[in-house]
Amino acid sequence: MTNAIDMQAVTRRFGESTALDAVDVTVPEGSICGLLGRNGAGKTTMMSIIAGQDRPSSGRVEVLGQEPFENESVLAMLSFVRDNQRYPDDYRLHHVLRIAPDFAPHWSEEVAAELVDGFRIPARTPIKKFSRGQLSSVAIVLGLASRAPVTLLDEPYLGLDVTARALFHDMLLRDYAAHPRTIVLSTHLVQESEALFDRVVILDGGTVRVSSEAEDVRDLAFTLSGATDVVQGLTARSTVLSTHTVAGLMSATVWGALDDESRTTARDLGARVAPASLHELVAAIGEHRPEPADLALHEKKGVRA
Amino acid sequence: MSAVISTVKLHMNRRETTFLVPLYITGMVAVFSVLISLVFWRSGSQPGSAEWIQGSQSNPGIVYALLSFLVYLGVSSVATTFPFALTLGATRRSFTVGTLLWAAITSAYVAAILAVLSVVERATDHWFVGFYVFDVYVLGAGDIGRLLPIVFLGVLTALTVGGVFASAWVRFGARGPQLIAAGVVIVIAAALIVVVPAAAEIAEAFQLWWLAVAALAAIALSSTGTWLLLRPAVVR
Repeated sequence: MTNAIDMQAVTRRFGESTALDAVDVTVPEGSICGLLGRNGAGKTTMMSIIAGQDRPSSGRVEVLGQEPFENESVLAMLSFVRDNQRYPDDYRLHHVLRIAPDFAPHWSEEVAAELVDGFRIPARTPIKKFSRGQLSSVAIVLGLASRAPVTLLDEPYLGLDVTARALFHDMLLRDYAAHPRTIVLSTHLVQESEALFDRVVILDGGTVRVSSEAEDVRDLAFTLSGATDVVQGLTARSTVLSTHTVAGLMSATVWGALDDESRTTARDLGARVAPASLHELVAAIGEHRPEPADLALHEKKGVRA
Repeated sequence: MSAVISTVKLHMNRRETTFLVPLYITGMVAVFSVLISLVFWRSGSQPGSAEWIQGSQSNPGIVYALLSFLVYLGVSSVATTFPFALTLGATRRSFTVGTLLWAAITSAYVAAILAVLSVVERATDHWFVGFYVFDVYVLGAGDIGRLLPIVFLGVLTALTVGGVFASAWVRFGARGPQLIAAGVVIVIAAALIVVVPAAAEIAEAFQLWWLAVAALAAIALSSTGTWLLLRPAVVR
């Protein structure tokens, strides 16, 4: 399968701060990739580089086989609306809807109209006076109606009510089925979105901690719950991503798979073992501070814990 | 090329700001000029007298009123439009070229408007009562051959200078425009230090086309500066 996005050893520094550190990520054409991680993990920086709005300090990025920066033919195939998007002074909704098709060769008036109606985006209010949810709605209209072969959606849910989120999901899946494209979606609402994802990338501190097919994510980590001493004993030699303790009971999210012998021992000692959900994995990785040894161990598997 | 045209259309998308606000401002200046003329009239000055004509034609109100708006328009054409242009898929190169093209179109539009109003003003013997709004020295005193280049180059200078200040802000934040302003002040001061001893001779030899050359230099420097500042700029 051809990759729509290919990032190799991409590093982005801003002065003393490293926003992305040697990132290797590929996203196959026609897939929906969830880009997950805490605030400040590097998600928007990564999308910005993919969209040609920024350049890496080092490394290589290709979108649809070409470098995106200042590349008009690639940029015409891309859509990226950042979560804090600024609009020209005095802009109202009709200004956006009037100009966007000029830059988006695959623009769909029907999709735009349905979303504007469904989100109830005000027509007469200046965009700079929009609420957070209304700004997200405009960003979703731009992202989905463009039908860009590579669509980057940066925190599209911010401020959206439950009805609007359902509309977004419905339109995304419906239009994606009719017009397949590559979509990268960053979000903190992991549970609500995970059913969309074919692929998952988890960033933390500017590094890729997981880059995997969505169906393989449940094999990456497990949770172990039980008496604190039992859980501590069973996880003594494992990479524990996070722990939570309540009244003598402990729940640990542990990297890797539990072998049969350990699973039997856990059951005998009254501990409960379950695969970590994507939500638990993202939260645990966000808490975890990896030791160099952990990194070395998991780099061999193509993922980092 | 298509992204350049799309960028021009992106700027033109603010139709009221680009096409109507200059008309509103011109109308306001006309009203204020008439009111001021009425004050002079009531104070004993006679329309059509040499003193009246001399005083009226010295009124540069139209320039002051338009200048501040045009610099603002130049600033906003980059400060808030550049991030949105990148989002839509414009390259920095096409944005810079498209913005310069839009500025030239806007300059031609304003020049044409003022030229028409100036012709009408003279054709009606200054609105039938001797009021001077556009037939003023700063716009060529009724000479359309002077008015057109004066307004075109003046508007283009205001828009591009506004644009380069905004580009410095996009690139470096608040320090950017401050650095440009400081640099301009230093260059002007240094030039004055050099030419002041010969100021009298220079004033005597002054030709109007010198201003045109200065405007062209400012436009070229501002446009080049805009490109150099926006090329590595990161929108965050």
